[in-house]
Amino acid sequence: MKPIERVSLTLQHKEADRIPVYPLLCGVSRKLVNASYPVWSTDMDVCAEAYEKVTDMFGLDVICTLIDLSVEAADFGQKIVFPENEAAHPDFNDYMLKSTKDIYTVEPIKFPAAKRMNGHVRLCDRLVKSKGQDVPVVAFVFGPLGILSMMRGQANLFMDIIDDPDAVKHGVAAITETLLEYVDALAATGVHAIMLDTLFASQSIMSKQMWLEFEGVYVEKIADRIREKGCMVMVHNCGTGIYFDAQIQTMKPTAISFLHVPDDCSSYEDAQAKYGDKITFIGHVPPTWLLYATEEEVREECRKEIAMHKAGGGFILATGCEYPANLSFDKAQVIIDSAKEFGRY
Amino acid sequence: MVLQEINQALQRGDVNGVTQGIKSALEQGLEPRQILNEGLLAAMEVIGIKFKNNEVFVPEVLIAARAMNAGMEVLKPRLIETGVEPIGTVVLGTVKGDLHDIGKNLVRMMFEGSGLTVHDLGVDVSAERFVEAIKEYKPQIVGMSALLTTTMGEMKATIEAIKAAGLRDQVKIMVGGAPVTAKFAQEVGADVYAKDAAEAAFEAKKLVY
Repeated sequence: MKPIERVSLTLQHKEADRIPVYPLLCGVSRKLVNASYPVWSTDMDVCAEAYEKVTDMFGLDVICTLIDLSVEAADFGQKIVFPENEAAHPDFNDYMLKSTKDIYTVEPIKFPAAKRMNGHVRLCDRLVKSKGQDVPVVAFVFGPLGILSMMRGQANLFMDIIDDPDAVKHGVAAITETLLEYVDALAATGVHAIMLDTLFASQSIMSKQMWLEFEGVYVEKIADRIREKGCMVMVHNCGTGIYFDAQIQTMKPTAISFLHVPDDCSSYEDAQAKYGDKITFIGHVPPTWLLYATEEEVREECRKEIAMHKAGGGFILATGCEYPANLSFDKAQVIIDSAKEFGRY
Repeated sequence: MVLQEINQALQRGDVNGVTQGIKSALEQGLEPRQILNEGLLAAMEVIGIKFKNNEVFVPEVLIAARAMNAGMEVLKPRLIETGVEPIGTVVLGTVKGDLHDIGKNLVRMMFEGSGLTVHDLGVDVSAERFVEAIKEYKPQIVGMSALLTTTMGEMKATIEAIKAAGLRDQVKIMVGGAPVTAKFAQEVGADVYAKDAAEAAFEAKKLVY
């Protein structure tokens, strides 16, 4: 069975030949093309080659185009730092929005001039053409509140929400307008799904009510647009106590990629019972744990997760967040082998 | 009454309410220690408990901590005059190569709200700098934060450097950060793992008492 057939059946909550698997091998793929992180992040031909190689070499069932969480903020004018061996990030000493009032200056940008976002569109275009017939391509987009935090600093933004809620809503609305154009362009490449990272929809950051008010209503518009354009909506969130219910309510995703138990569930088993028939689960091998877990422990964790979620389809084995960018591929291979060994129907 | 007002203002994150309340309390002749304990620290303790119980979240903690800091600016000179001692000393920092500070800052605020003196070394702190700070400030606790899988390894390197400097027995080492787990903390030889800022403050108080 081709990955696209396997994933398609899984998303329909039908049992394929086995469960699909894709440890989120993103930044680590740069090693396969001997590229530095800055080159991998900014040269989309190199990035595409890395994604193609990692997909072929490990037989991945999904390609998810996570580059870094600064792609969108960079195009709004945030100064970005590109370290040699880790993901790009904003210059933490030089946020472009210096004060709460500055948020009122955020406006939608002219999308054709958006260098990094258009680079990501080109990456998706190439991957759809080279791999999309066999492997579903999922474009990764950071949520608007997260993007604003990259331009203002998280701590500042969280206080702004209370100090001047209208300012934050202005900024998020302006970013959302640009993201609507962005998802149009991504959908036009033929990607199968767009995955929205709504990082702050979790107890580790803010209340559910606050998230709904400050991001939920905006990502609802983006999710509607994604579906209008013929793509599936997926969600990624690696926070603790994530708000499955609020994210399902607003974005109606086909699948949620997650690491921790949702806020209204007591365990992964409970989450399976409560949400397993509503969405496809993608997860939830802890990526940082891979740094020191033995291969046998990883295999056992995968076996447990597969046993918990595999019945009736609706489960893709993956890491709960990006695979550590400087780790060897050995543990990824264990995850993939485990899916093949324990995930057969 | 005024102490209760300070307490409530701090929980709301009302900077003006806290600073004006402290000034009123001092004018009324209340002891700085009493204002600190019953006004500021008691309120931060409530915030800490609510944070742990998911009744308030990071934004509410941040504005409460901001109000706490503003209140301390007013109160600190009077506390020094009256010789109020902190309950303990902490050296805190985000490890080398890691520039993230929101989690570390939250921990600092909760530590300060617990009556600890915190020497915040900032972000991208080398093992050598941690060692120097231990020698300089003689803390009971060293706290290390990391947000990245690529920098977590620095925690181990720092603990090794503290051992090599012969200082390991003098401090308790606490680690935390989004990717850090209890098992990882154990693996790298830390004494305490805290899953969030509230737990860090709770554990720190246990260590110094």
